Formats: sequence, structure tokens, C-alpha cells
Amino acid sequence: MTKVAYYPGCAMNDRASHLDRSARDAAVKLGFELDELDKWTCCGAVPPVSEERVMNLIAPSRILKSVRDSGRDTLITICDFCYNTLKRTNFSVKSDIITRKRVNAFLADDEPERDYIETDDSLWKDYTGEVKVYHYMEYLRDVLGYEKITDNLKRPLNGLNIAPYYGCVMLRPLNEIQLDNPENPSIIENFIISLGAEPVKYSYRTECCGSYLSISNPAASTRLCYRILTSARNSGADAIVVSCPLCFYNLDSRQQAIDEAYPDFKALPIFYFSQLLSVALGVEYSRQGFEKHYADVSPVLDKIGGISGKGDAK
Amino acid sequence: MKRIGVFVCHCGNNIAGTVDVKRVAREAREMRGVTFALDYIYMCSEPGQALVREKIKEENLDAVIIAACSPTLHESTFRTAASEAGLNPWQCEIANIREQCSWVHSDREKATAKAIKIVGTIVEKTRLNESLEPIPVSITRKALVIGGGIAGIQASLDIADSGHKVILVEKEPSIGGHMAQLSETFPTLDCSQCILTPKMVAVGKHPNIELMTYSEIEQVSGYVGNFTVRIKRKAPFVDWSACTGCGICMEKCPSKIPSLFDRELATHGAIYVPFPQAVPNKPVIEKDSCIYFNTGKCRLCEKVCEIGAINFEQEDTFVEEEVGAIITATGFETLPVNDLDEYGAGEVPDVIDGLAFERLLSASGPTVGEIKRPSDGMIPREIVFVQCSGSRDPERYKPYCSKICCMYTTKHALLYKHRVQDGQPYIFYIDIRTGGKGYEEFYHNAQEEEGIIYLRGKVAKIFRDGKKTIVWGTDTLTGRNIEIAADLVVLATAVIPMYSTAELVKKLRIQTGPNGFLSEAHPKLRPVESINSGFYIAGAAQGPKDIPETVAQASGAACKVISLFSRNHLEQDPAIAWVDEELCGGCRICISVCPYDAREFDEENGTATVNEALCEGCGSCVAACACGATQQRNLSDSQIKSMVTASLGGE
Repeated sequence: MTKVAYYPGCAMNDRASHLDRSARDAAVKLGFELDELDKWTCCGAVPPVSEERVMNLIAPSRILKSVRDSGRDTLITICDFCYNTLKRTNFSVKSDIITRKRVNAFLADDEPERDYIETDDSLWKDYTGEVKVYHYMEYLRDVLGYEKITDNLKRPLNGLNIAPYYGCVMLRPLNEIQLDNPENPSIIENFIISLGAEPVKYSYRTECCGSYLSISNPAASTRLCYRILTSARNSGADAIVVSCPLCFYNLDSRQQAIDEAYPDFKALPIFYFSQLLSVALGVEYSRQGFEKHYADVSPVLDKIGGISGKGDAK
Repeated sequence: MKRIGVFVCHCGNNIAGTVDVKRVAREAREMRGVTFALDYIYMCSEPGQALVREKIKEENLDAVIIAACSPTLHESTFRTAASEAGLNPWQCEIANIREQCSWVHSDREKATAKAIKIVGTIVEKTRLNESLEPIPVSITRKALVIGGGIAGIQASLDIADSGHKVILVEKEPSIGGHMAQLSETFPTLDCSQCILTPKMVAVGKHPNIELMTYSEIEQVSGYVGNFTVRIKRKAPFVDWSACTGCGICMEKCPSKIPSLFDRELATHGAIYVPFPQAVPNKPVIEKDSCIYFNTGKCRLCEKVCEIGAINFEQEDTFVEEEVGAIITATGFETLPVNDLDEYGAGEVPDVIDGLAFERLLSASGPTVGEIKRPSDGMIPREIVFVQCSGSRDPERYKPYCSKICCMYTTKHALLYKHRVQDGQPYIFYIDIRTGGKGYEEFYHNAQEEEGIIYLRGKVAKIFRDGKKTIVWGTDTLTGRNIEIAADLVVLATAVIPMYSTAELVKKLRIQTGPNGFLSEAHPKLRPVESINSGFYIAGAAQGPKDIPETVAQASGAACKVISLFSRNHLEQDPAIAWVDEELCGGCRICISVCPYDAREFDEENGTATVNEALCEGCGSCVAACACGATQQRNLSDSQIKSMVTASLGGE
């Protein structure tokens, strides 16, 4: 089985470990293995909003360099923030020679025995952006091909109307990320179609969920999430699918606060894309961690094959 | 031995500030062949030119060199002066010591040394210069105008009125262009059709204008004064000479296709005229949408046509015409709403562009002038206009200002307010630009008297929510975010060149700028000419323009054509390639490298020849010729060799 280097990131390692599990399960069903890096650190997560030009690139560059040094050129991540951070770091290191030199000067400290003033280049090779960073969904689309998913469906999500939600950092900024059109994207829609479900058109799929405001100004996030969820529900969605653990947290857990603030609100199940994928590929519901969700997912599961999820997964 | 005079110009301080001009003159006097040299503060001034004329006679000079600015600026000035004093103009040369020396250097010592070398090389060239005579070229006094919008109409009428023949080619079935789509025009609010249609009729009737609508340029060859143009006349499947334009065929046609003239707000049959006032008022059948052409059945139009004008067997025909000048007036389109992702990507039905709103306003439009929104025909109570939709946005769309939108959006809001008095128009803008006679007053009145709300800021996003179209924007004057639940949104989309322009300019071999608009020969002093002689440009094909400006440019281009036609013959620069037949081996490599189709082959002699009328003197064939048979007049191999030697400091 093909092994592909995998960077889970902090959320997947802790609070959202069930999402990580579903991503690994689905990969196996599709014929590859997410091979977690031996040693990894936090990607930094905040570089997208930071003014700092070098320090925030060190941790992600170290991660990328370790992939390169292990002889691989592909890295998969399943969190939008990790993806954004790693991909933009790679872009900076690749396209800007001054950044590259500064970053590598810091990385050289990792190897104290190396005398980087009188360089012996035989043992050291600057990291120059050789690794290609993939979002898991991007890997499915561009390397594996969505038709491979369709070919392997064990529990097609026929009859489900799923609203895609893009959030902020998966697609932006366009010139560095180059994943899809940030204003009118289609990657999640096509993913939904490949699972046999119907993508729902609604107006808020690229609007902000509040992101970290969830901590500093929860009311603002509550209002934003209310609009997203209500618009999706009014457009006929059975559920929303997301690709970022923070979006997941805001859209799901925040429904309690929304319920208190907005009397007309009706709950809407939220799925991580890897959950829907592994469910459709026949992995048991019990491995998805649905019990951790705030919004009850059973109405959706009922539509595709019962709450147990065992009987029809052939 | 030739007696050469060198005149060194100070150009005020432009040259003298960096180059020791007195020393240049002193050193020039010592050069081989130079018998006289002086320096003067402004050589191009009348006293400067008089000095040249005087010294040619006094010093009995055979050739002169003006060490001054670039030859593109004043070569012809000094050649005229020299010929007035009896010299052959090709015995006058320019040594460029300004653009190529004083302007780009600061070290006075080195710049002076370089100026001396530049003069030295030109002295070497001039020593061997021959006296030449210009090559006379005849002119076909007939013009081709491409594009039948207001620019093409105006240019055609002006040329035709001067007594010269004009061929006006339009790709659509009718002339009229975008101006025919407009309702009322700013700032006077006179009806567009009322001022345009008389001109369209005049074109149709003018004895000197041959109108070819539903036609396209296929191929262009030749040169100024003598172009050959191949024109494709698309088959209308209607015998226009028999058709009376009664319109019964259009009434009966069962097909329904979106009317491009009505910006897809209405439909017409597969047999149609674009609009009732069309010139010529003859229908065409759009083959792709015709039921008969698709299924082999129907032919209803043929049955109802009493005079039998329908002819399904017609085929495209091609005509060849000889013309002396070509005006390109291919006009504009606007950026499709579908391209504006953040504004609904064309998927929100009540987001339309400015031209569509013109059709809603027009008394002859699909709603007979009533403002009804496309989704459900409701009269909008709140309407949002978004300026700079795709303009002034270098990151995502077009970097330039589309120029007409501030005015037409103001006009739109005002006309809306006149018809829906309790309605509320909002205009989002970046700046309001009202450069034009009466424009500022028009805008001022709209803002002060008509209750239009102007919001300074960009719109971030437009989307549908139920029956409303939600507009999110910012008012940068108050710093607040704005959300408007509008009934209709009108985007002032960026003006872009007509789509067919890109293909056409390849056939014409004229230049366009980075945004696809036609390039003028000089942005200020030659605004209606292309850099290639014989080609003229008019209207919005050159850049976004309103009607008055378009008409002015069209008349300007027409004037240039008339002035060209008023000459007995044209003069071609004789400093071009020639062939020494004794040396030519007939390899034909010159023919393959010539970018102007000027190199031909004489089968009888087995040697290559030069078509003097086509040759631009670029030198490609001279460089390519393996046996030195092709030479450039006054830039021969021996001249170049001695120039190189001089530039390296040798003798």
C-alpha cells in the first residue's frame, strides 16, 4: 500500500481525534496509507494573520524539511489551517531567496555540530520548497481522482443534500494556495457529488464562521454561524460538510449558544469531510465519533442506512 | 572626397549639461571627411535650421550630421532643412547624443567621450552615403471601415461626404452598434435612437458607401495606399435583394433564441433582425438555432414568404476589394457578469449589467421602457448600482478605469427615479469622475435634487436570499459595513475590447496594448493612427470612450484618410533592401525571413527581388543573405564595418 507522509496537526491529535481516524480509515479503503511523520510540532496556525515575516516560518519549514530529508516529496494534511500554513510557508521559501536563506540559517541550529559559518555542504542541504503540500481533498481530486471514490462506494450517500462550507483559509490567498477559485469554488461540491450526494447551493458557503472570535467575542461568532446554518437549512440542506476543525467546532458546538440567542433556529448536523468519506466507503459509524457531535446526526444516518451503520455496509 | 559638416546641439541643458558639446565639435572637426563643425544651443529652432542651410552653402558641404536627439524626433526636420539648401535629404544624418548618451549618463568625462564616438560612427556612415530619391507609390482612393457602430458610421459618412468611396463592414446583420441599444444619453438625456438612426439611414443611402453587414474581414494584404482585402459575406439564407422587410417570417418562426441585442432579456426567432430600426432592415437566419437546419423539417418562413426570398441553399461568399486606407472601429463589449464570481457569477437573476438596464429603460426594449426585474417582473423598489465592477481592480480583473460608468450610472439612477418615484436608488462608487462638458453639473443635480444615495466604497459580495438580492458593501466615509436587501442590482461592468478584435488585429497586423485595446501611434500627438501606415483607429476599440469622444475620434480618423487621399502619390523611403543579381544564388532564405512579404522570387532570372513598396528596411534579409547579395541602401556592409571600427576607436 502506498504510504504518503501525513501531518495531522494539533486538533486531530487531541480534541478531533475521531476526524483523524476517519481520514486514515478512508485512505486505507482507497488504497493508500497516511503515514504520520515520526516527529512533528505545531505548525504555528496563526501565521496567516501574523505580521512576523521569518519566525512564523521556522516551525512549518522544519516540518517540511523533515519530509524532504526522509526522501519524500508529498505531504498530506487534513486541517485547513495546517494546510494554509504549510503551503504558504512552502511558497515563501520557494519563491523568495532572502526568506529561504533566513529560514535555513535558523534551521541550521537544529544541527549544532554543523559549522554553518564555514559551510560543509556535503552534509547539509538548504530546504528550498521541494515538498508539495496537499490538502487531503486536493490529493483525492488531483492525485487519486474523485472517480476512484465513486468506484469504491459501499454506502453511496444517495438522496442526501449536503451543503459545502469553505471557511476562510482553505482557498485564500489565491496566488499562494492555487487550490480553487476563492469566490466561486467547486472542490467540495465535486467531492459531495463523488459520494453520491447532492451539493446544496446557498449564499454563505465562503463566509467567515468567526474563527478565533469564538474565544474573544463569542457573540459575533454565534451571529455568523447562525446565518450560515440558517441559510444552508433554508436552501434544503440535510447537513453541512466542512474541512477545518475550527469551522467544525464553531458550526457544531456553537449551535447550543445559537439556540439560546435565536428562537427560530433549528439544529443542523455538521460532518467533517473525512467522516462522510469513510462512511460512504463503508467504515462503521462507530468509528466516526459521532457521539462527540453537538448536533444530532442520526436523521442523516437514518437516510442512508440506519443508526447502526453495520447492516448495509457490504 | 566628401565635405561633411557636423552640427552639435546643446538641447538647452539636456545635452550640454552632461556632454562637453564644445569638445565634441572640436574633435569632430578632426575626423576624416569633416571639414566643418560647430555647436549651437537649439539646432531644431528656426535660427538653428537657418545655420544649417547657411553653412551648407558657405562651406560648400556635401553632407551634414546633426548631433542631437533621436532621429525619430527630428530627422525629417533636418532633412527638409538640408534639402532646402540643395542637399539630397539622404545626405543628412542624425547622431543621437541625447537619448543614447546625455540622458542615460551622469559622468561628464565619459559621456563626452561616448558622444564623440557616436559622432565618429555616423561620420563613417555618412562618408559612404549615396544620394537617394523617394520611391513613388500610387494610392487607391477608397477606404475600408471595419465596424458599424457610431465610430464606423461617423468615419464612413465623413469620408463619403468628401467624395471618396467607402466600404463599411459590420459583422452583425445591422449597423448601429451599442449606441442603438442605449435609451437616453448623458448629460442631455436625448434619446439615443433619435440621434443615431438618421445617421444609420444616411449610411444605407449614401451613394459613396458600400455597406456590407453580416460580413467579416478574412484577409488583408498590401500596404498603405494599396491594400487588398478579402471579405467574407456570411449567408443570411434570405435573398436581400428580393426581401421587402415585411417581417412575417419573423412572426411565424417557432424558434426562440435569446436576443443579444436585448441582452438576453427577450427572445427572437431563428430568423430575425436585431431591432426594428435595423439598417439594412433585412432578416438573417441563424443556422445553429434554425429548426430546419437542425432537423430537416419546418421551413415555415419559406412558406409564409410571399415573394420567395428565403433560400436555404445560400452559402457564404467572398469578395476581394482594393482599398487605400483602413479604419478599425470595432468597439467594445462589457465584462460578462458571469466572470464576476463575488457578484453572483451570473447565477443571481436580478443582477444585470448596465447595457441590460439600458434595454429595460428603452421605449423599444423588452419591457417597453417599464423597469421590471428579470426574475419575476416586479418593479424594483430598492435598486443598487455598483460602479467599477471589474474595473480599477488590477489583482482580479481590469486595472483601468472604464471611463463611461460614473456618468451612465448616474443617468441610470436618475431615469429610474423619474419612473419609480417612490423607489430608492443607491450607487456604490470609488470616485466619481465627471470630466466632460456638462457632466459635473449633471452629476451634481442627480445627487442634490434626485434623492440618489451615493455610497463611497466597494461592494464585497452579492447573493440571493429568497426574492431579495443582498448586497454587502462598505461605506468608507462613515467606516460602516452596509447591507442592502435590494430588488435589482445593476453592475457597471468593465469596458473591454470587442471579442473579435483580437483575431482581427492578427489579420491586419496592427498593435494592441496590454488590455487588448488598439494602440495609437502616439498617445498624445497621433491618437487616431496605428503605428503601421495606412491603418487608422476610432472609437472604443482604442479604449473606453463616451459618444462625443468617439465621434470626435472617428471624424479625426476620417480626416487623416481624406488627407492621405488628397495626395497625388505616396513616397516610400528608399533606404531599403536591394539585390545584386550577380551575387544572388537563389537560395530564397530572404523570402523566408521577411516579415513584410516584401521579398519575392524572379523565376526567369533565378534571383530574389525586393518589392519596394512593401519593404520597410528592417534589414532581416540583409543579415540573413549568405552571399552578401542583398544590401541595405545607405547601410551597406562596408558602412557598417567602418562604423564598428570607429566605435572601437580605430581608423
